[in-house]
Amino acid sequence: MKTNAQWNRRDFLKTTSAATLSALAAGFPRAVIAADAVTEKIKATADTVIVLWMGGGMAHTETFDPKRYTPFEKGMAPDAFLSTFPSIPTAVDGIHFSEGLEKMAAVMDRGTLIRSYTAGDLGFILHSRHQFQWHTGYAPPQTVAAPHLGAFIARTLGPLNPAVPAFINIGQRFDNGEGEELKAFTTAGFLGSEYGPLNIPFPDQAEDTVRPPGGMTPGRFEDRNKFYKKLLAASPVGEHGSDYQKESLLRSLDNAHRLLSSPAAKAFDLSLEPLDSIRKYVPTYQPAQRFAAERDRFGAKYEEQMVGRFGLGCLLARRLAEVGARYIEVTTEYIPFFNWDTHENGHSRLVAMKKQIDAPIAQLVLDLESRGLLNRTLIVLASEFSRDAMIEGKPDKLIKDQVEVPAKVEDPKHYGMHRHFTDAGCVLLYGGGMKRGHLHGLTADERPCKTIKDRVIIEDLHASIYRAVGISPKLAYEIEKRPFYTTRNGEGIPVMDLFA
Amino acid sequence: MKLPCSHWLTAFLFAAGSSAPAALTPEQVAQLPPPAAHAVNFSSEIKPIFEASCVKCHGRGRAKGEFQIDSRATLLKGGDSGPALVPGKSAASLLVELVAGFDPASVMPKKGTKLTREQIGVLRAWIDQGAPWDPNVTFARAEPANLKTRRPEFPKSQGKATNPVDRLLEPYFAANKIKPPQPVDDRAFARRVYLDVVGLLPPPDKLESFVADKSKDKRAKLVRRLLADQEGYALHWLSFWNDMLRNDYKGTGYIDGGRKQITQWLFTALETNKPYDQFVAELVNPTAESEGFTKGIVWRGVVNASQTPAMQAAQGVSQVFMGVNLKCASCHDSFVNDWTLADAYGLAGVYADGPLEMVLCDKPTGKIAAPKFIYAQLGELETSTNKTVRLQHLAQLITRREDGRLSRTLVNRLWQKFFGRGLVEPLDDMEHPAWNPDLIDWLAEDFADHGYDVKHLIEVMLTSRAYQLPATPATEQVGSDFVFRGPQVRRLSAEQFRDAVGALTGVWYGSPATPFLRADGSTNHFTATRSALVAADTLQLALGRPNREQVLTSRATAATTLQALELTNGAELAEVLAQGAEKVIGIPAPGPELVTQLYAKALGRKPTRAEVELATSLVGQPVQKTGVEDLLWGLTMMPEFQLIY
Repeated sequence: MKTNAQWNRRDFLKTTSAATLSALAAGFPRAVIAADAVTEKIKATADTVIVLWMGGGMAHTETFDPKRYTPFEKGMAPDAFLSTFPSIPTAVDGIHFSEGLEKMAAVMDRGTLIRSYTAGDLGFILHSRHQFQWHTGYAPPQTVAAPHLGAFIARTLGPLNPAVPAFINIGQRFDNGEGEELKAFTTAGFLGSEYGPLNIPFPDQAEDTVRPPGGMTPGRFEDRNKFYKKLLAASPVGEHGSDYQKESLLRSLDNAHRLLSSPAAKAFDLSLEPLDSIRKYVPTYQPAQRFAAERDRFGAKYEEQMVGRFGLGCLLARRLAEVGARYIEVTTEYIPFFNWDTHENGHSRLVAMKKQIDAPIAQLVLDLESRGLLNRTLIVLASEFSRDAMIEGKPDKLIKDQVEVPAKVEDPKHYGMHRHFTDAGCVLLYGGGMKRGHLHGLTADERPCKTIKDRVIIEDLHASIYRAVGISPKLAYEIEKRPFYTTRNGEGIPVMDLFA
Repeated sequence: MKLPCSHWLTAFLFAAGSSAPAALTPEQVAQLPPPAAHAVNFSSEIKPIFEASCVKCHGRGRAKGEFQIDSRATLLKGGDSGPALVPGKSAASLLVELVAGFDPASVMPKKGTKLTREQIGVLRAWIDQGAPWDPNVTFARAEPANLKTRRPEFPKSQGKATNPVDRLLEPYFAANKIKPPQPVDDRAFARRVYLDVVGLLPPPDKLESFVADKSKDKRAKLVRRLLADQEGYALHWLSFWNDMLRNDYKGTGYIDGGRKQITQWLFTALETNKPYDQFVAELVNPTAESEGFTKGIVWRGVVNASQTPAMQAAQGVSQVFMGVNLKCASCHDSFVNDWTLADAYGLAGVYADGPLEMVLCDKPTGKIAAPKFIYAQLGELETSTNKTVRLQHLAQLITRREDGRLSRTLVNRLWQKFFGRGLVEPLDDMEHPAWNPDLIDWLAEDFADHGYDVKHLIEVMLTSRAYQLPATPATEQVGSDFVFRGPQVRRLSAEQFRDAVGALTGVWYGSPATPFLRADGSTNHFTATRSALVAADTLQLALGRPNREQVLTSRATAATTLQALELTNGAELAEVLAQGAEKVIGIPAPGPELVTQLYAKALGRKPTRAEVELATSLVGQPVQKTGVEDLLWGLTMMPEFQLIY
């Protein structure tokens, strides 16, 4: 298998010329750079970015920043617990995780942990609004369609392998309660759909996105394309000569065909992965297991039915990174009140969430490392904000509560982090030029367990990710004659302490 | 001073100190560059200095430090720090002191290139010589283009043109040494007008009778007949206006009641061809049915001052109806046009429920915006504390017969739809001059004279010879070198493509996304459920139907790889083609005949002998469903199908 750097240059040029062609479309955004931007070229430390998205608000004290553990006791005060799990050591002295993350703890020596990520102040909480800000750097609504982080990267760097779409988004459906809000940022926005995401809601069905339409054999697919070429040749419209609309259409169809018949398309097919390898990601995986996309959609059995889906997403991300994907995002899927969005039963549901993520994330790190790809692949695990049992918003900027906290915790369903806390949060980074076994930021050991050192805000986190792939935080694309920056107002500052 | 909202490249921001700087010491005077020894020419020597270094903050309507350089009088008057210059005494003039930069905190210009010693010397000499000013030169805000109504004279006809567009273009073509070629043939013309008026391909029987018709005015008749098709017209133009008014069945904001549809109002307005002045008035000063546009989109939580509903309304109204971009000015005085924060807040203030405090780059200024319309030239807006009264007046003002911008903006948008490029570009920058001012001015006046009848305006354009010229290759033509030679090759919109596939296969969407009440009292009574009636599916989204979260006045038309992927293996199109193939094989006809029928439906022509052979061999004998599917796919991927020539 080719490594990232070995992609055929001629292929690359062929494909990028299509992108350039579309860039010629009327009003297409032109790159501009802030006048005071550093002019020296940033040396990239990563070629590929994989974002592991913990949508719904992952409580820091229950995962990567454990505090004092108090077991459940009937009638306990609601503020009696900071963590509902004991803490466990990791491979790095002085860094502890929450119980249930043992495999990730074992690879902490490959990672950098930020404990001081702080979400924006957007008022009464709407998850998708914070997710919009996390993914674009801008809080909605916006006067122009803001591009997703992945689209900015796709637009700026292009595909790493021209036969693999530059921006691949795994695991999210858009037909739930906040689906329209999710759609609003899962887009290339004004950059144009060339740079938009290829959405793969079910990783086990990923090959459907890159194979001939349902029921069509590869032979027929090839024949159809040959017939089409003959049809074109026979058409008297050829007399119209060459124009940009026609060239653009024909080239895009060629690109799609090349993508569908490329060897890289095999990366989308998880059935080609050995069973024992799949089970390292999803221990409970049964051969030929398929997720029921349509059945019991977001009902009571949703979480139970989706066990392993995120794990397969991580496996797919590894396969795609191996063939040269540029930006991949894998989500645990955000659906209001599911997964990390724990408005009740926080403790027991986090047991399940940790089971979902622990093995596959650790394995992804190990697999990329053993393939020599971790050095040039930046993995970013993040969530829109954290949670707390008592505080909604920030201690000094409280916002309207969404969850009733009882005077006494009688029922285990009230044992957990059910409010939205925006004054701390964990981000884990692996590879791609980041330090190994490093801790950045500090939170208080007593409630409010807020950030007390080295606060990292979204602009600076984005600036760090962009810097890793060699993009300036002051890079802007021009829309309606004004610059739209990769980081808000071009003001993001990379956190250099994270870099090795 | 660096503003927190510094999203500009080379900002020339500076503010005069609030206290008058002390006069120069004798030592400092001695250090000043000496005055130039020659007689200074204002226009060739001083004007360029002012333009390069002063006007961005003190001219064109800007008044940083309350100082404006518009004329000699305002220059002498000075700003917060006192008179800017004393004629005859350059060393005692504040202007010289500030540009000399003895005090780094108050050096002018604050940002950008400082004046050279030579320039300061010239400036001194000019002041010493009495600061003469050419009265023809002003740095005040220019009279906006395309604002006042103007009725151009028709040129003396050289040829036989009768359509006003063609008469007005005659001198243009002559000046550009263009001899317009023969108009396109009937088939190409019919395909264009069907797609442009009702958004559908011409049905084969209608097309053939049109081609066979021998009457001289058959093209004009066809345009009129299509315009009279209320259903077809409304369902085509619904998408255009949904983009513009960012109206859709689904989208952000609905979950919290932070958004409202105007679908029924819009559909009725199009179905009944509501006069455009009334159409605009009902959006600007809305009823419960049309208020969704100016209510904006509200997400849960706190909102940035530059995106409050009132500010969204100001941005939307000015962009859509007046071709003015207030987005920059919603946060700070714009760097890309002459609009100021006060202009944006003035219009937002009309929509605000109470007094509206101006916020400069997220920092409250303490100043309350006085409600006003962006163009005082069109008349003063009555300032009432009653929002209802303000909105009534705003609607009256914007739709006044004297408002030549309202009509020109729509003329320009329609011209761009039909010809591929606007008379003014960019479309939302109507302060730019048109490449043919007489043409836009005449069309705008004629449109208003005809009671703002949009269908009349369309008819004038589509019956012109200019519209019937052969398509020209669409290239990116920017700048002033554009020469009009005919309509550009255009691409079908997402909705046109899906509806064309619908017409080809007989497979349409299920039922409309919401109940549509027709003018005749029926509900959801449509010939077919066309694309515009349903929420966007993956196919439509891939082909460029926007998620309508922002006003969008033109769509990108270049084909992209992700689009092609959706067309090549997307489930939605594959399913439609499979169902369509099922219908085709039910027709008891031999292969060649089926092929001929499909070519007529898809491309509006007979297949050539070579095409018949090729396609017949594909569909098989007897005709196979998979073969038909593949033929349908091939036909719909043809540039001849997807493009408008």
